[in-house]
Amino acid sequence: MSANAAFIASRRRLFGALLPSSGTAAPAMRSPGRTGLRELDLPVTPQALTMPPPAVRWLTRASHGFSTPLHAQFIALGADDESRWAAWLAQQLDPASIADGDCDNRIASAGYQTLDMTVPQLWSRRNQIGGSNYFERMRPMAEVEAATIIRQTYSKRQLFEVMVGFWHDHFSTFGWDYDGGPIFVQYDRDVIRPNALGNFRTMLEEVAKSTMMMYYLDQYASNRDGPNENYARELLELHTLGVENYGGILAPDDPSLPIGVGGDGNPVRLKYVDNDVYEAARALTGWTIRNGHWQYPTEDDGTYTYRLPWHDPSNKYILNRYFAYNAGDNGNDGRKLFDILCGHPGTARFVAGKLCRRFVGDNPSSALVDAAANLFQSARNAPDQIKQVVALILQSSEFKTSWGTKMKRPAMSAVSALRGLLADFTPIPATSWTTTQEFVYRVQQTGHRWFYWPTPNGYPDVQTAWASSSALGMTFRMLARIPELHATNGDNATPFLADIQGHTLAALPTQAQRTADNIVGYWCDRLLGYRPEPMRTTLVNFLRQNAAATADLDLEYDPNGAHTGGWNANDLSKHYTIARLRTTVALLLCSPEFLRR
Amino acid sequence: MTPFNRRDFLKGVSALTLAAGSGSHAKAWFASGDFLPAAASNDTLVIVFLRGAMDGLSLLPPSASNANRGHYQSYRSSTRIPTTGTGAGLALNGTPDWLLHPRAAELRDLYNSQHLAMVVAAGQMQPVPVIRSHFDAQANLEFGIGGGTGNSIGWFTRHLVSGGLPATVPLPAVSMGDITAASLLGSSDAITMIGGDSFRLNSFHWSWDGDAADPPGVAGAGAIARLNNLWNGTTALERAGAETLASLALLRDVDFAGYAPAGGANYTLPYNNGFGQQLRDVANLIKRGLGLRAVTIDLGNWDTHVGQGNPTQSYDWFGNQVESLSKGLNAFYTDLAAGPTNYMNQVSVIVLSEFGRRVLENADGGTDHGYGNVMLALGGRVNGGHTYGTFPGLAGEQLYEGTDVAATTDYRRVISEALVRRMANPNIYYVFPGYSGYSPLGIFQGSDLPPANFDQIFKNGFDGA
Repeated sequence: MSANAAFIASRRRLFGALLPSSGTAAPAMRSPGRTGLRELDLPVTPQALTMPPPAVRWLTRASHGFSTPLHAQFIALGADDESRWAAWLAQQLDPASIADGDCDNRIASAGYQTLDMTVPQLWSRRNQIGGSNYFERMRPMAEVEAATIIRQTYSKRQLFEVMVGFWHDHFSTFGWDYDGGPIFVQYDRDVIRPNALGNFRTMLEEVAKSTMMMYYLDQYASNRDGPNENYARELLELHTLGVENYGGILAPDDPSLPIGVGGDGNPVRLKYVDNDVYEAARALTGWTIRNGHWQYPTEDDGTYTYRLPWHDPSNKYILNRYFAYNAGDNGNDGRKLFDILCGHPGTARFVAGKLCRRFVGDNPSSALVDAAANLFQSARNAPDQIKQVVALILQSSEFKTSWGTKMKRPAMSAVSALRGLLADFTPIPATSWTTTQEFVYRVQQTGHRWFYWPTPNGYPDVQTAWASSSALGMTFRMLARIPELHATNGDNATPFLADIQGHTLAALPTQAQRTADNIVGYWCDRLLGYRPEPMRTTLVNFLRQNAAATADLDLEYDPNGAHTGGWNANDLSKHYTIARLRTTVALLLCSPEFLRR
Repeated sequence: MTPFNRRDFLKGVSALTLAAGSGSHAKAWFASGDFLPAAASNDTLVIVFLRGAMDGLSLLPPSASNANRGHYQSYRSSTRIPTTGTGAGLALNGTPDWLLHPRAAELRDLYNSQHLAMVVAAGQMQPVPVIRSHFDAQANLEFGIGGGTGNSIGWFTRHLVSGGLPATVPLPAVSMGDITAASLLGSSDAITMIGGDSFRLNSFHWSWDGDAADPPGVAGAGAIARLNNLWNGTTALERAGAETLASLALLRDVDFAGYAPAGGANYTLPYNNGFGQQLRDVANLIKRGLGLRAVTIDLGNWDTHVGQGNPTQSYDWFGNQVESLSKGLNAFYTDLAAGPTNYMNQVSVIVLSEFGRRVLENADGGTDHGYGNVMLALGGRVNGGHTYGTFPGLAGEQLYEGTDVAATTDYRRVISEALVRRMANPNIYYVFPGYSGYSPLGIFQGSDLPPANFDQIFKNGFDGA
């Protein structure tokens, strides 16, 4: 039993084929004590990889997936990849400068009802519906999800949309929270999106005041008689300092706790202890929402308010900073707390580390994280603080040279498929089994539906979390289905979301061009931006079956008009060829090359 | 004697490992050394994780005869379980000091029929100071190394590695959920799945997929066969994909939807029905004889900071949760114990949570994060009908940090007993590095083996000798 035992073939791969359906085990050799899948055993950029071209590597990680229009925009920006990348980044970091009419029009055409409502309107709607109609109650959440799918798929402001997703993960809420879900529009529209490339301190306070976070972490109910520590704890543990800076249940003056320098140049304790959580909860008492509380029955519009009588004015001591007794607080304790947290070096490193992990890979170098953290700290008062840090990361040589330690998380793989296929999809929430409902449900089965993570730590952002047999298996199941989805679910007479047959015929206009070699090459270019081996050959072999790779295939013969081709068990190259074309594309979507980033 | 500072050591190891970008240190650290031979029984150990910190004082409140009842009543009003009248706690045969939550009638029956045992004031004894973060505490419990998260190897994985698993076991471990439980991280023995019925590839166009791997009569021509060809590379991602495809193939022929539970067991739960369906899938897999040894299942939604509810009223959130646990475990027991083979004689269930909740309830009708908690053990080879462990008391000076139930029984002691007596694996100090001084509480039936295999670093450096 060697500690250095290499990975060996899975037992299930040995047994799977041998196992009779009765379920009794078949005997075979097994080497016990194997070490399992372990990310750290592998180099930062796996040497075994065929590296895609730079444009593919960079665009894939800064967007929701490669597509030929994205690539064309990139190519048009300069004479070489370096200058194109600089120009593309400059555009993307100024998203307002990018015309986004197609995306806007698609959202406008969808007929969503709640996305423009004010918080009082959403609140009133929520209270009128009450528990009478769950679908209508949650419509605002469902419409944000639908609009998010559209933006991730069609917006030309791709980097901005990636950052919106990043902050929804960082300040994660369960969108379908019964109380907060009906107001979720505010959280996405007024809290996350306006600040996604802006200033962290500004965003943090907007998150704190948002109706969604107020409900999700119970801050709305916290007061001097019963401070609720739920939000305060996650504020320190997940939103700012991070659990890596948690010192446990020590006294605040325990000599083992290190002291550093805060953003204002004054000493600050580097690790938080439980007492800081309790004191932070007290500092935030009084921050609540107008929810018709019995003491304030006329204040009932769902918006943020501060209630001085609910605030605990006593002195507080947080991270070695003293908060004096303050009878007329007016929210100053809370704002002072946010200032301390946002100037704390632990926050800079925690948030910068997450950004590096998102864009670069699962194990970014300390040097890069330090550089990003230093800029996060020094630019902490800048209105474009986050933009500056993102620019640093995406311009780093580490970003440019790395590849392949991460995978697209399942929802991104779904969107990436839509993007690569140039699908025509305007999701509309419904109560019946529509294409939209099937699509989001299949993503839900992967464990990565939008705004659906139940706990406040947000979706994991490391490959091991998504490479489980469940997440990956359900991802295959979902991706294999996308080429089969029609505009009206199950109605073969309505168009496919992605016109794979039509695009192939148009790209290869003559019959002689329609060889397995050419078809697979075309779809590799469309979905990946390059033609990796041996994957390409595997797909060619599937598509050609018993024909030659250079023989042309009949992609139009469809005797039943069912978009499948005809039955021919004697010559598999003529067996359901149109369906086989879609299945070839589905296999490409289910390949490691498509899922890698 | 200067105690070995394990926590700093662990931090050093993980920092070094990350900096080097290579697992060699982690590997050396987890070097198995020479395991004692483990007999590897055919038992299954199921860990039910109540995520979010279950309020043990509500699941198992002190009875009227318990000296702590007065304290309990002074700390708890809106979450109090009464001793008489509507919503009164359930009495337990032979255990006069405790009541079960009134929504746990099935657990009461299992307890009275000697199949269910409870451990009071159990918890995580390492690290000190204790952790009150859900995520950190869950990770600490599941990695099982008493501080720090190590290198992402779970305790259940270390059990599988050291437990003498025979060569002929196709499916040693299942983690029910969309993400692998941390206790099984690092194991290529484990399949992760939300549910059996959906765990299959059948969404390529039917002509090249269907539920058969290939078109009729032509082996290797279909989409699923080709998928295997796409995933035979050497990176971590491709290895994971190959494991996934092998798992899908292994379970392809198992009929999950049509499974008929025995003994009239009803897995349909009014709340948390997914928990019931996952237990049903596990029972099915156990009966299939695939050699299932290690199972993790989650039941979440226990983080009751606000509106915990009360069985004396119509709003009883916590009670709904308890009912899910009670009815689910009862269906599982009933299903597996019925019929000619009493599978429960080879199945043990341990129920645990990351920590308990504060003794003093808060002003929002809820409870905040605490420490010591109740653990449950269920099985045909459990010495049930007893509570184990020492309850430290609820008087002010008896509380941990003045606020929480103190922990007097290490959760590792309970699990270790199951590993030794039921799974015949003596290597518990390998499974739980840093744990020492194991002795059985007597919860499980089985043979004792001398506990073995201090991890290398602890063998050499622990206690600074």
